[in-house]
Amino acid sequence: MPSDVSLAGRRATLLHAAAKVGHNVTSILDPDELLEKTVDVICDEFGFYYAGVFLIDADDSGDVGRRWAVLRAGRGEAGEAMMAEGYELEVNGRSMIGAATGMGSAIIALDVGEEPVHFKNPHLPDTRSEMALPLMVGDSEGDVRIIGALTVQSTEEAAFSDDDITALQAMADQLAIAIHNARLYDQNRQLLAQAKRRTRLLGAAARVGRDVVSILDLDELLPTMVDVICDAYGFYYAGVFLVEPDPEDPDRRWAVLRAGRGEAGAAMVTEGHKLEVGGHSMIGAAAGMQGALIALDVGEQPEHFKNPHLPDTRSEMALPLVVGGTSGDARLIGAVTVQSTEEAAFDDDDITSLQAMADHLAVAIRNAQLLKELEAAHAELVRTKTYEALATATLEAIHWIGNKALPITAGVGRLVEDLNRFPPSSDPGRLASMHEDLEMIAESARLIVSVQEHLIGPAREEQPRPAMAEDVVKDAAVRLDIPANVIAYEVAPDLPLVRADTTQLGRAFGYLLQNALEAVEEAEERRITVGVALADDDFVAIQIADTGPGIPEGDLDKIWAAFYTTKGAQHAGLGLSAALRILKQLEGQIAAANRPEGGAVFEVLVPVYDGPLLEAALPSKRKVLLVDDDDAWSRFATAALKDAGNEVVRSADGRVDLKPFDLILMDAVLAHADSRAVLEQLAAEGAGDKTLVVASSLRVEDAMQMIQLGAQDVVLKPYTAAALAEVVG
Amino acid sequence: MTQEIKILLVDDEELVLRSLEKTLLRAGFDVQTAEDVNASLAAFEAAQSAGEPFDLAILDLHMPGFDDRDDANAGLALLNRLIEADANLPVIILTAFDEVARAKEAVARGARAYFVKGREASLVELVNRIIES
Repeated sequence: MPSDVSLAGRRATLLHAAAKVGHNVTSILDPDELLEKTVDVICDEFGFYYAGVFLIDADDSGDVGRRWAVLRAGRGEAGEAMMAEGYELEVNGRSMIGAATGMGSAIIALDVGEEPVHFKNPHLPDTRSEMALPLMVGDSEGDVRIIGALTVQSTEEAAFSDDDITALQAMADQLAIAIHNARLYDQNRQLLAQAKRRTRLLGAAARVGRDVVSILDLDELLPTMVDVICDAYGFYYAGVFLVEPDPEDPDRRWAVLRAGRGEAGAAMVTEGHKLEVGGHSMIGAAAGMQGALIALDVGEQPEHFKNPHLPDTRSEMALPLVVGGTSGDARLIGAVTVQSTEEAAFDDDDITSLQAMADHLAVAIRNAQLLKELEAAHAELVRTKTYEALATATLEAIHWIGNKALPITAGVGRLVEDLNRFPPSSDPGRLASMHEDLEMIAESARLIVSVQEHLIGPAREEQPRPAMAEDVVKDAAVRLDIPANVIAYEVAPDLPLVRADTTQLGRAFGYLLQNALEAVEEAEERRITVGVALADDDFVAIQIADTGPGIPEGDLDKIWAAFYTTKGAQHAGLGLSAALRILKQLEGQIAAANRPEGGAVFEVLVPVYDGPLLEAALPSKRKVLLVDDDDAWSRFATAALKDAGNEVVRSADGRVDLKPFDLILMDAVLAHADSRAVLEQLAAEGAGDKTLVVASSLRVEDAMQMIQLGAQDVVLKPYTAAALAEVVG
Repeated sequence: MTQEIKILLVDDEELVLRSLEKTLLRAGFDVQTAEDVNASLAAFEAAQSAGEPFDLAILDLHMPGFDDRDDANAGLALLNRLIEADANLPVIILTAFDEVARAKEAVARGARAYFVKGREASLVELVNRIIES
């Protein structure tokens, strides 16, 4: 026991020590540094062999009943070892620290052997006396909170006097305040960092909004988007996918990469990188659910799809691009991926900010897409209007020519009659001359009328529509009565529909076939070969080759000029010129060449139909008779009608029992029968009312004749299920 | 017999009117002409009241209509009125409009035939066939 003399000295030492602790320690703002310094100074100044600081675990949320005081600093090797173990004691538990933290009062064991609360610690076997002091802070309402406890241990028994206890408690109180301050400081620092981050995110979102959203050209928008996102947010990769339907399976959709940052992005876009919507990738899953997906450590995420182009990714976020708000209207147009080389790179603020940005981007993309659609629709409208304006102008011209030509031919007819009945002269030479003059006038008038037909006719009305090129060319050949042993067809399978006015196209083929027929008239082997095949993605090619003399090399350019002819006065030389004009009108092409084996070949390119194929509402449960040859069209019509639940029978000449049928569809052009005679027969049997004649080329005289013969109606041949539904419905 | 056949011929083109008239006259028909819809109706009604109705009418489509304004469908309107007045009257349309839709329309409204000017060669033959049936 210290004597009275050293009591004052001891007190002085204590005060000094307490002051030193206060001074050294309370100015440290870093909590960990503070605690470490504290235990060292306490041991050094007070001569204890061990001191430790426990703090009550602030994260304890679950079980309110149990809380733990965790060792946060401990002197020497023993301290380090215990901290490494995660040493902790239960508040209100059976240890001295437990009691101190539970009751908020100092506990002293002057001989640890005797104290019931003592908990022998294997790391500190030399302890004979121990003190546990609570660390307490008061808050603004005057309540006291216990934040932990301080333990000091001595190798001597009864090592602590009352003075020691007082001094140490005072110091513990100061320490508690210092710890509290350090924590507050740390919190503030974090809040400040967060606030700064938020500002940066808002700035990034604003920048994206400003730079990107006003770009209306989709090809510029998407690459700019990925660059701005990476620059503004500091990610190393961003990619934008747009959703497209699967060309073969209407139930599947694909997110196709349209823009990606850097070389990796460019390589993937070129490869045509795509991910299935609703599939196992993050993009696929995010798009499928229309919700954001985050992988903070890509190793663990089940949805992650390791990409060889982006090996450094550690965190990834996939955001859907949706327009139209919630539920019903919402439309998925694509998805965005952002990737970071750091783990856990995105916090909740990032997610909110990026999703908001994604929503803006979705709108921007949709706007760009809509603008493209609008431009296409506008172009189509302009084309239609131009067509209509042209058609109106040419109709007026046709009208005028017809009116002026009629009096000429009619007048000539009468003059010829009069010349014959009442010859004005007895001189045969003079009479012959008069006849010849009249013939020239009549011929001229006929040519004028045919010019009207060939030159102006091509520019007439009728909208282009989806059609089968192979059917139109075949009809043209049959109409010209080209014998079967002269003409051969080579038609490729699975041809797409073309976009054409079939009456005009039929006319063009007619001119070419007529030309070919005349070319082979004098040939040894009379052969015309018609080939129909896909030329490329955009055109179907129809080749008409003949075994005639071919076209003189120097004339290959000139044949397209109107009135060019090598055949003498018989021909107006208008056919090829008219064919050219028709193809130009249809946005197709036509070219002539000589074949190496002899003869000429004309190649016609007709654009592939790329418009929408509308839904068909075909009636069902009808019995339909198809009067047609077995050709591409009858096969299409049969399939379409059968698919809709109708019974279909085909007959090449209509010589079947007609009574059971609800509807008879007859092709105006039949290869092995006379369609007029067939129709007469159908009408004779009372089936005229249920007979619809379909024709690829519709002309007034033919149509009138068919109706005269008893058909219910004559219409353009339908080449799509929707068109067929319109005709039949 | 053909002397008694009365044909009403309507066209606003003077040359066409005169030329066709001559052809029909030479074929033995009695022809009355009119240049517009109002004149045609007046002629038609006058003939009916006089107890000498027309046996056949040949109409152009594009001419001044009931309101005296040029109308592409004036002929169709006239066709309606004539058929209303005499359901059995054979009417032939002779027009410059080479359009299937119009042809079908005319036939649907009761025209017997539709000819395109410039390709009307068999017109007289048709008239004879109609008269004889």
